[in-house]
Amino acid sequence: MKKRLLPAICVALILLYAFTRRQPLQRFHLNGYAQGTTYSIVYYAADSLISLKQTDSLLQRFDESVSLYLPGSLICKFNRSVKGIRVDQHFQRLVREAIKIHRETDGLVDPTVKPLVDAWGFGAIKASHTPDSNEVKKLVKNVGLKYISLKGNFLYKTRPNIQLDLNGIAQGYAVDLLANLLERQHIKSYLIELGGELRIKGTKPGNQPFTVGIEGISGFDAEPMRKVIEPPDGAITTSGNYRKQHEAGGKPISHLMNPLTGYPVNNEMISITVYAQDAVTADGFDNGFMAMGLKRTLAYLAKHKNMGAYIVYRKADGSIKDTTTMSFKSKRPI
Amino acid sequence: MERKTFLKNSALLAAGLFIDNKLSAMPTLAAPLKVGIVGCGDRGTGIMHIINGMTDMFQITAVCDVLDFRLAAAQKLGKSASLKAYTDYRKLLDDKEVDTVIVAVPLHMHYPVAAAVINSGRHLYLEKTMTYTIDQALDLVKLMHNRNTQVLQVGHQYRYSPLYYRVKEMINKGYLGKITQIDCRWDRNGSWRRPVPDSSLERVINWRMYKEYSGGLVAELLSHQIDFINWVFDTHPQEFFATGGIDYFKDGRETYDNVQVMLRYPELGMIGNFGATCGNAHDGYLFKIKGTLGTVSLLTDQGIFYPEKKLLDEKGTVDGVTGATRIVWNKGGGTPILPEPTRDGTWYAFKDFYTKVQNRQLPDSNVFTGARTAISVHLANQALYSNKITAWDKSYKIDSK
Repeated sequence: MKKRLLPAICVALILLYAFTRRQPLQRFHLNGYAQGTTYSIVYYAADSLISLKQTDSLLQRFDESVSLYLPGSLICKFNRSVKGIRVDQHFQRLVREAIKIHRETDGLVDPTVKPLVDAWGFGAIKASHTPDSNEVKKLVKNVGLKYISLKGNFLYKTRPNIQLDLNGIAQGYAVDLLANLLERQHIKSYLIELGGELRIKGTKPGNQPFTVGIEGISGFDAEPMRKVIEPPDGAITTSGNYRKQHEAGGKPISHLMNPLTGYPVNNEMISITVYAQDAVTADGFDNGFMAMGLKRTLAYLAKHKNMGAYIVYRKADGSIKDTTTMSFKSKRPI
Repeated sequence: MERKTFLKNSALLAAGLFIDNKLSAMPTLAAPLKVGIVGCGDRGTGIMHIINGMTDMFQITAVCDVLDFRLAAAQKLGKSASLKAYTDYRKLLDDKEVDTVIVAVPLHMHYPVAAAVINSGRHLYLEKTMTYTIDQALDLVKLMHNRNTQVLQVGHQYRYSPLYYRVKEMINKGYLGKITQIDCRWDRNGSWRRPVPDSSLERVINWRMYKEYSGGLVAELLSHQIDFINWVFDTHPQEFFATGGIDYFKDGRETYDNVQVMLRYPELGMIGNFGATCGNAHDGYLFKIKGTLGTVSLLTDQGIFYPEKKLLDEKGTVDGVTGATRIVWNKGGGTPILPEPTRDGTWYAFKDFYTKVQNRQLPDSNVFTGARTAISVHLANQALYSNKITAWDKSYKIDSK
């Protein structure tokens, strides 16, 4: 009996060894197109665990909730509705996040800003002219979180003209959705990028940190990186005035709106790169910080140590400066 | 001179960022300019169409052309019923109602009309190329001396296009690396002729076909790109090589229907290839600026940047890039320089002309830069029509730079 058992134990041990031995990690890279921009996922795992089909369909489903470019999306239906509509989980979560960030930024982040975005020529349909002060006054009356409320899965509006634009936060959220997908596959080392918003976890093999380049502010793809950082686990997003702006009366106009005044943000901020635990937070705050300006942003971040930022701004004499609120491990610019 | 203007403009742009929020609430302070148009052919009436839409800046009050049917057509384009018509530009200059003159006549007439406008004390928008000869260009420079409150803008309108301005910025910041080559074409598959209602009018209407009146394809088309390169690099070509002929439309014309000009910029280590044919339309308009880090490929209203592999490799050394949402590289591996096509270049040029007249400032395309480009064009044509290499003469006195 014992003689028979021994080989069986040996086989079992060998099998156990084979299955528990760590397989070498391989690098997998997915490149896709979503939300009018590109996305890229790099992860390290023993085997391919995620397909482009999965990520594409995940992002497509998300677009059906909050894309302003899909007339059949929930957000477009809400905007056309008189009293509101039933919304899905994603939508609810985004509205709750937006409300939270709205409070934290004293109203400078507001998802009901869409009429202003459209009027100033940054909407899905281009405006024919620059609004005058009377038009702005009228538009601002239909901007405000007090006009919407979420009860259960029904998002109400108290005025039919209220329209939502969740673009300032949706990209970050989409990055988090991709991160969740990877987490469910127990992937421990990844870098996800969608439209310049990132989520990072772990390191590359050999304990090499992921490096992230912060784009220069000229808006030229040819420009060298302004800075190269090695962020910890979490999210990095950037909001900047340098890519999306147009001119009116010979002056550049930012695509970022101040929901309190109704006018485009116009201060010393050129760009801000925000670090936070998740991308919906980083992305939600980055536009708010742009509107808050340098002084208020620095004061806010001094009190919120779980977030950090790298800020590029223009001094009164026209010169360009930058400042960092947390010690990003930084490499020299390329 | 050019660089100073550029710096001044950048400073204005920067200052603009700090101007108070009430962007559009600013009323227009000054009254529109009262404009007389001299030359109502395709270009003259084209300008009329555009400035008719800029009523807060321009009010056309008089038109002038030697051809009655053109004059009648131009009068109909007027916004007011009282548009005065002249067949002699000197009579238009006697009209006290006109304070600004736009000149869009055949090239050989640029100088006499422009000189008369300047001497009358009026502001002048003079179509390109500035003059027909080198001496005329130098004379206009002299004539404008000490006329600091009188504005002369030359119609090289790329200097006002946001797209071309952006390209200038890219190049000046070194993002294209070291530029060695410029490729430029302005081709068509057609005679480049205008219909003539009466054969006696052939030379008046198809003046571009005759050397007596025109600098041909180089002056009428390629001068735009030649001027842009002069502007971007604050330079002018030193040596001019050219070849060409009447190779397809042997219809009695004198100016060549097929031209190729090579310009040498020795201090920049750069070659400019400028060509035009009337026998193929595949490329149409083409303008490529090639550097060690990338290529800019331009149409009149849109442009694409194509990075060299070297640049992509440098960017590839990081695992990710964060930035304001980027525009996607297109299928050809390029990225648009501006997100949307620009308007017609004439609109930007006239908008700036108005501002410069209001502020009595030197336009970006002025008598000095206009002279430099006119001389470049003329030296290229000398090389083309006399089969010899020509060179810039240091004795050309354009400005005190």
